[in-house]
Amino acid sequence: MSKTALIVDDSPTMRQMVAFTLTNAGFTVVEAEHGKDAVNKVTAAGKMDIVVTDLNMPEMDGITLIKELRKLSAFKYTPILMLTTESAIEKKQAGKEAGATGWLVKPFNPETLLKTIAKVLPA
Amino acid sequence: MSDEFAQFQEAFFEEAAEHLAIVEEGLLALEQHPQDLELLAKIFRSAHSIKGASGMFGFNAVTQFTHKMETLLDLLRTGEKAVSPPIADLLLKSTDCLKTLIEAVKSGVAVDDEVVQRLTTELATASGAQPPAVPQKQSVAAPTQSDSQERSYLIKWTPPEWLFQRGLDPLQVLKELNGLGDLSSVTLDMTRVPDLAEIDPEKCYLSWELQLLTGKDQKTIESAFEFVREDSKLVIEAQPVASSECQVASQNPQHEIRNQQPETVEGGLKPLGAILVESGVVSPAVLEQALSQQKRVGEILVEQKAVTPHQLEQALNTQRQQEAASHTKKTDTTSIRVDTAKIDKLINLVGELVITQSMLSDLGSRFEIKQLPVLLERVAQLERNTREIQERVMGIRMLPIGTAFSRFPRLVRDLSTKAGKKIQLVLSGEETELDKTVIESIGDPLTHLVRNSADHGLEPPEERLDNNKSEVGTIRLNAFHEGGNICITVEDDGRGLNRDKIVAKAVKQGLIGENEKLSDDQIWPLIFRPGFSTAEKVTDVSGRGVGMDVVKRNIEALGGTVSIKTVTGKGTTFTLKLPLTLAIIEGMTVRVGKETYIVPLLSILESIQPKAGTIKTVVGKGELINVRGTYLPMIRMYEVFVLEPEYTNPMKSILLILETEGERVAVMVDEILGQQQVVIKSMEQNFRKVEGIAGATILGDGTVGFILDVRGLLEIARHNTPVAA
Repeated sequence: MSKTALIVDDSPTMRQMVAFTLTNAGFTVVEAEHGKDAVNKVTAAGKMDIVVTDLNMPEMDGITLIKELRKLSAFKYTPILMLTTESAIEKKQAGKEAGATGWLVKPFNPETLLKTIAKVLPA
Repeated sequence: MSDEFAQFQEAFFEEAAEHLAIVEEGLLALEQHPQDLELLAKIFRSAHSIKGASGMFGFNAVTQFTHKMETLLDLLRTGEKAVSPPIADLLLKSTDCLKTLIEAVKSGVAVDDEVVQRLTTELATASGAQPPAVPQKQSVAAPTQSDSQERSYLIKWTPPEWLFQRGLDPLQVLKELNGLGDLSSVTLDMTRVPDLAEIDPEKCYLSWELQLLTGKDQKTIESAFEFVREDSKLVIEAQPVASSECQVASQNPQHEIRNQQPETVEGGLKPLGAILVESGVVSPAVLEQALSQQKRVGEILVEQKAVTPHQLEQALNTQRQQEAASHTKKTDTTSIRVDTAKIDKLINLVGELVITQSMLSDLGSRFEIKQLPVLLERVAQLERNTREIQERVMGIRMLPIGTAFSRFPRLVRDLSTKAGKKIQLVLSGEETELDKTVIESIGDPLTHLVRNSADHGLEPPEERLDNNKSEVGTIRLNAFHEGGNICITVEDDGRGLNRDKIVAKAVKQGLIGENEKLSDDQIWPLIFRPGFSTAEKVTDVSGRGVGMDVVKRNIEALGGTVSIKTVTGKGTTFTLKLPLTLAIIEGMTVRVGKETYIVPLLSILESIQPKAGTIKTVVGKGELINVRGTYLPMIRMYEVFVLEPEYTNPMKSILLILETEGERVAVMVDEILGQQQVVIKSMEQNFRKVEGIAGATILGDGTVGFILDVRGLLEIARHNTPVAA
């Protein structure tokens, strides 16, 4: 069975690019526009193998989403990658405290994305 | 930039345009509510999204500029800085600049670096930063040395206790290390593991001592610990290498071929005026004035009698056509973003259509006459499917008109500051949907009408107060559906049109006779005549005498109409009535001989059966018909298209009175068949352009029907030349 990934980003372009890369790498992708949307979608979809989330989003930001996900038993140990921009690197700390597994600094290319995912994805 | 991501550029441009609109709208709203933190957060997010995504495509100029905007917005968002009019103004200007930057990467043209630099500095100053340092190079994954000598490293790693709670797995790190080289020894240190009773299974009590033989450098090894390094106890020691000779080779010469591009040199030369202004020889104002005295080439040539005004007009026409052609080419490549729900629904419907089709072919293969009711039922079902699919497919092209309205808050703001008037803009009906092409094409006419209202319609504050009106003038833009059309109204509560001025001007231009008694409804449309402007002074905003006629022409090109309602002292309302789509028109089917033609419904005023004696022939003007006192040119369709008609006697046939661009013509046909919606198929694409025919369509019985081009017919009436079929 293919692995599942949840992609959370309010920018459709970013979402499309990440989804495209992951789909090509054999993932089944679920997309969400923001934290709230993501929480709703995982309630419906259940477990995910990995979560890739943007931080700055309307409705519910990435940090809050990570905290919310960690509260769910299905997401307690799920790797969660956050996408940050260089200027928001200080958010890394907040993200780690919230329970983010790792991070990826924008801009990135498909190879870096897949490499980083490989880093945190349990075999 | 990654080639794989390049295909998403179009999506980025579309998204960026949306974000820009949000930023602009937000900034305008911010002027009213400077304390609105939610609004600020929204603006910030949009800027942030543009920054993030533009970086992905390597649009560094955009990324860097947005970053500067974002920095300032962040200060506003966190309340460290208050929103002031100069800051709002600066941000608005920056938004414009950002728009230009994005436009520039899209089309590949160079941008005015000076403006970008100036705004960048201003933004930095406003953010309280030092003048911008040299833009930093985007750091994309540090180059890894791959061919250096293998070395042995001793790694001691104690991960943080909460490792598991972040979804991290020490095994992952070990695996990655193993991938870098040969993990020759792994020693697990379990001394910190407490007694079983005290163990918290969610905590990590382990630490490792590793021996790694690898050709990679220390940095690469560290990157395996990327997400835990700061919280771990980590020691990486390079072991002395056995052989000493390779020490020399450690300085790896880097043949980094840098793509040194010269700092964007603009392709063309600078115009003389620009150089003179830059060197301070003349002021921009002087240059402007000098340029305004410059005559156009055409005017000079006419003066020198090198060309006749008629030849010039023809040349200008050609130019316009080429311009229009290049414009259509440009719009051809645009994409449209469709809600997936719309597509899902459509796929569903196509599925139903396929089922209906297979039911029909099943029935057809063993059809007996007693099954006729079943057949009729299936056909009715097919009809339902088709109709619904048609509606949904049209729906794909439908966008809310709000996208066309969104430019107006900014426009009105700028106009009100420029004209020194207080103007309030009220938008409604933004959610009304219509065809994307129509939305794109009504932007300019609407802009013109709004400018017109702001400049001519609304009075200055003092005058309004004198007339017992509120100091603030209002312009209302409203959109709504009416029948199969969409109506857009531009309404102002200004002084209204001045009947006397219009009449005086029209008499002067010879459009009407001096003592002609005309109703208001006949007077107002005069302002749509070319070259008609009653504005006393030419302003920067409008009133150059061009415009209203262009508005009308553009709207009519879309198959729409413009009408005016005005009350002196109370205000003016312009109503644009447009078809929902350009692909389908509402038409009247008429018959001439054995042929069926479709006349666009919007152009039909009435149909009459002429009485004897109302038709006169005037030398050089062809036949004229007297319709309630007005003589209109009459066209016999069968003559134009060289057909065998049923009636050659006008008393027996029917005359359709058609109108386009204020001109009327009577067209003689044999019979009116009915009214129906027809899908336009282009003649140019499938055959060639035929004078008097706007397009073709396939009629219910499968035959081809031609759609009349009313404007073309008028031309034919003027020249009296039949079309060779």
